[in-house]
Amino acid sequence: MTLSEAPTTSPALVTTALEKSYHSTEPPTRVLNGIDLAVRQGEFLAVMGASGSGKSTLLYCISGMDRPTAGNVRLGDLDLTELSDRDMSRTRLTKMGFIFQQAYFLSNFNLRDNILLPALKAQPKERAEVEARVDAMLQRFGIAHVADHGITQVSGGQLQRASICRALATKPAVLFADEPTGALNSSMTLDVLDALTGVHRDGTTIMMVTHDPACAARADRVVYLRDGLLVDELDLGTWHQADTSRRDGELLSWLRDHDF
Amino acid sequence: MYVKYTLNDLRRNRGVNSSLLVVLVLSAFLMASGAMVMERTLGSVNALFDQAKPPHFLQMHKGAYDEAALDAFATAHPEIDSWLIEDMVGYDSAAIAWVRPGTTESGTLSASLIDNLFVTQNTAFDFLLDADSTMAYPADGETFVPVAYQQRFGLQAGDELRIRTDVGIEDFVIGGFVRDSQMASSLSSATRFLVSNADFERLRTTGGSSEIIVEYRLADPAQTSNFQAAYESDQSLPKNGQAVTGDMIRIINAISDGLVAIALMFVSLLLISIALLNVRFVIRGTLQDEVHQIGAMKAIGLPNSTISGLYLSKYSAMTLIACVIGGGLAVIASQALTSGMQASYATAPVTALTFLAPIAALVLVFLVVIAICRRVLRIINRIEVVSALVHGSTLNEHQTARRAKRLARRVRRSAFASYGGGDLGRRISLVDLRTEVGQWMLLPLVFMLAVVLITLPTNLLTTFQSPKFVTYMGAPESDLRIDLQFSDDLEQVREEAETALATDSRLAQVRRFANELVETRGIEGWESMRVEVGDYSGDTIQYLRGGPPSTGEIALSVLNADRFGVDVDEAFTVRRDGSEMPLTVSGIYQDITSGGQTAKMSGDATGVVTGYIYYATTSAGQDPTAIATNYGDQFPAMTVVPMGEYVSQTLSYVTNAFFNAAVLAIVFAIGVAALITTLNLTLRIAREKRRSGILSALGFSGSELAAQLRFKAILAVVIGTVLGVVVAATLGEALVGAAISLAGLGISSLAFIPNPLLVYVAYPLLLIAVGTISAVAVSSRLRRGDTSAWLRA
Ligand SMILES: Nc1ncnc2c1ncn2[C@@H]1O[C@H](COP(=O)(O)OP(=O)(O)O)[C@@H](O)[C@H]1O
Ligand SMILES: [Mg+2]
Repeated sequence: MTLSEAPTTSPALVTTALEKSYHSTEPPTRVLNGIDLAVRQGEFLAVMGASGSGKSTLLYCISGMDRPTAGNVRLGDLDLTELSDRDMSRTRLTKMGFIFQQAYFLSNFNLRDNILLPALKAQPKERAEVEARVDAMLQRFGIAHVADHGITQVSGGQLQRASICRALATKPAVLFADEPTGALNSSMTLDVLDALTGVHRDGTTIMMVTHDPACAARADRVVYLRDGLLVDELDLGTWHQADTSRRDGELLSWLRDHDF
Repeated sequence: MYVKYTLNDLRRNRGVNSSLLVVLVLSAFLMASGAMVMERTLGSVNALFDQAKPPHFLQMHKGAYDEAALDAFATAHPEIDSWLIEDMVGYDSAAIAWVRPGTTESGTLSASLIDNLFVTQNTAFDFLLDADSTMAYPADGETFVPVAYQQRFGLQAGDELRIRTDVGIEDFVIGGFVRDSQMASSLSSATRFLVSNADFERLRTTGGSSEIIVEYRLADPAQTSNFQAAYESDQSLPKNGQAVTGDMIRIINAISDGLVAIALMFVSLLLISIALLNVRFVIRGTLQDEVHQIGAMKAIGLPNSTISGLYLSKYSAMTLIACVIGGGLAVIASQALTSGMQASYATAPVTALTFLAPIAALVLVFLVVIAICRRVLRIINRIEVVSALVHGSTLNEHQTARRAKRLARRVRRSAFASYGGGDLGRRISLVDLRTEVGQWMLLPLVFMLAVVLITLPTNLLTTFQSPKFVTYMGAPESDLRIDLQFSDDLEQVREEAETALATDSRLAQVRRFANELVETRGIEGWESMRVEVGDYSGDTIQYLRGGPPSTGEIALSVLNADRFGVDVDEAFTVRRDGSEMPLTVSGIYQDITSGGQTAKMSGDATGVVTGYIYYATTSAGQDPTAIATNYGDQFPAMTVVPMGEYVSQTLSYVTNAFFNAAVLAIVFAIGVAALITTLNLTLRIAREKRRSGILSALGFSGSELAAQLRFKAILAVVIGTVLGVVVAATLGEALVGAAISLAGLGISSLAFIPNPLLVYVAYPLLLIAVGTISAVAVSSRLRRGDTSAWLRA
């Protein structure tokens, strides 16, 4: 297996003083307290933290699914917090891909249609090209044989690999993953992690939220979120080629320091 | 626990619960009002009949008659309880004016087409009652005017009534208003004014037309039709006017005001079906939402009955509240609805039924709603703890598997197989609609019912208002109707009038029909029958079966054909001028005039002619109204009216009732359509949270999601509306036609004469607009809110 080029240093995604409060509760829940984060082009970033620390919220705010209460988010030259709902949606469609803990699929469509959906929306006129790309991906992730199955008729691992296909079908600049292996058993987890690592090697920027050290270990860098603030970070990039067991040890002790 | 749960839930799901409550209140309200109006109407009519004692059979007659023959007839028929001859003096509406003393307000009654007959109070029966339902006895110089005129011309007690007679103006002061049980309905062509005996004797000598009504009350009212046959078979009795039986009076009275009640009941039945559909949807949705809770309750061992009791108590409470509010509103509304009726009839006595009718209606609503709730809540028994807690499903394992298999089969084929780059949102919406047909049933159903609801009363209205309705009145389509009634100088007036008509270039065609009395063989031997004799060649009237009569043939009205038990091509014998004529029935037509008992023969009248009717078509560009006024002035003995006017005035009571029903129906249909659309779409949004979350995450904007919801809603609304138009035009027409033919009016096959622009364009568009506006309002909610909240739901 050959390695892709080293990650470039230019930041793909930058947040400054990002805050988010939910006003549906009394008093309002303040979940993000001023997040400054830069994700480099081609980087594989893992966000860790205790359950309820605001990891998912961070991801939702960065991707514009939720509106941050304050601060801003830049994707390349684009200030996402300035965009209208329509433009933000468009950006999410064309430049971002998502993988969630639960397989969020539409039950009225088969697996392949679910994967085709965002890609077709992005390129409605190029159906043939989109289908060819998706079919190649189905092949690559080993789910071509269940492509026309209903989403209740495939395994969790297959669903999650389908999620990756769907996220990549639009050739996004950034791939967001929120606990992508949270609902999977260990062999399926491995499948999905290998898939993600492969995608990263192809040059896709990945921001992954997880509380599973085994997942975080695949990242270039891990940041730690507590009480709505990024409190620490750990660079794992240098260990990947050298010594994976050393890398895992470093990560675990770092996490212990954070009472994880 | 029940109370606490109910209160909690009412607070939590305020939107869904309050709109459900509104639908329930509306159903209860309409059902109760329908019952109350029905009870009041029947009560009013009956009360009036009890006090006024209308005749069981009456015969009008103009001109000389044989009083001894009437005496002999009465002696020979012991079934007569009592009888009387009422003398009347008739004046044309144009000859009667009113003035309000001390003001400049005044007018004439000339807009009225019916005969104005001045009479004195009867002594034995057929009383004219005043506002307090007591017999009115005007003082000299005073007159009591029919309630119908009071309402139509806005007359008040104290106004002066001026009659232009041959010898000058006769002045009366309006002392009050009388209800006329016998002529309360508009289908009778006359109405009665009450004056004192002295005034009446004077009026008799001042040139009005002299008429009589011979009236009979029978010991056994059920024998009326036999009695009528006996009367008509006696040649010496007066009978050149209309004969009316008590049944007809009752039917016609009941139709005009009973219709409002029937319309209300019809509306409420539709509403109740909508409410029930809705209850079903809401309960199913609620159970789905709370399936985890139900699973938990089952897991801790609560019996099914306790869990369903929890839900049932909530819906019972809501239904009970709805019934109480609806009942209260109905009391207010039915007072308003029946006030007009109370004026024409008598105030119905308050009996136990007055309270029982609406209460029974409300209890019925309550029981039906609760029964449906119970049925739907049976789902709870089938919910399995594991499915509920783990999968959040109300289905058991077996059902889940079956459903998954069905869905899997359906999704096998790609939804985008034929996608060529159009609106992707619409394409997925269509797929959703197809897979979730059951969830989207309510909207089309409701809109279908709403269309039926607003179309039928309007169609009835336009049918009865249409000049073409004359085809149900045994008359040809034409522009003018000229009625020349019996008088001593009938033939002379006829000749003058015909000369004028024949030379009038404004008229394209004039057909004359003579009203001739012939005899026919009935149960009691020979009896008399009215026949319109004239030229029926070409296009004249429309026949239900068969065609126009040629020489040696006769056409019969539906009721006459029934009465004599004959059909087309069968033999029918009449006696004309004493000699028998064997005829063949050439055709059968619908006619509601003259009690529905008429006949038509071609040729010239040879026997007793009681009057003439002319139907004229105008030349292009001529105004029938102007011509009518012209002839009316020139020939005071003739009643000349434009055809549309004739239809609308003759049927004004009925059409007023239809109009009220139509307005009511439109208001309710629109309200219900808006309400249900809002309610249903709100439920849909809640149910589709996850779908919205997924699509939003993938890059669909809030407005695109809103557009998808609108697309689905409007599609459902349009489908329902189109279906409704079809159903109203086919099934609806058949249904209403059957109801009308049962009423015994003489119409056995009613074809709507719709206003196509109104019922095929304006109404559907109106409903679609209502649906669209509701959909736009609800779907705008999708534009705000965080996607994460949808995904986390
Ligand atoms: N819509 C919401 N309204 C109120 N509080 C919320 C909402 N969504 C999330 N939260 C709260 O925000 C906090 C962070 O949630 P989340 O980002 O899902 O944490 P994590 O993904 O790290 O487990 C939690 O305490 C959660 O209860
Ligand atoms: Mg999370």
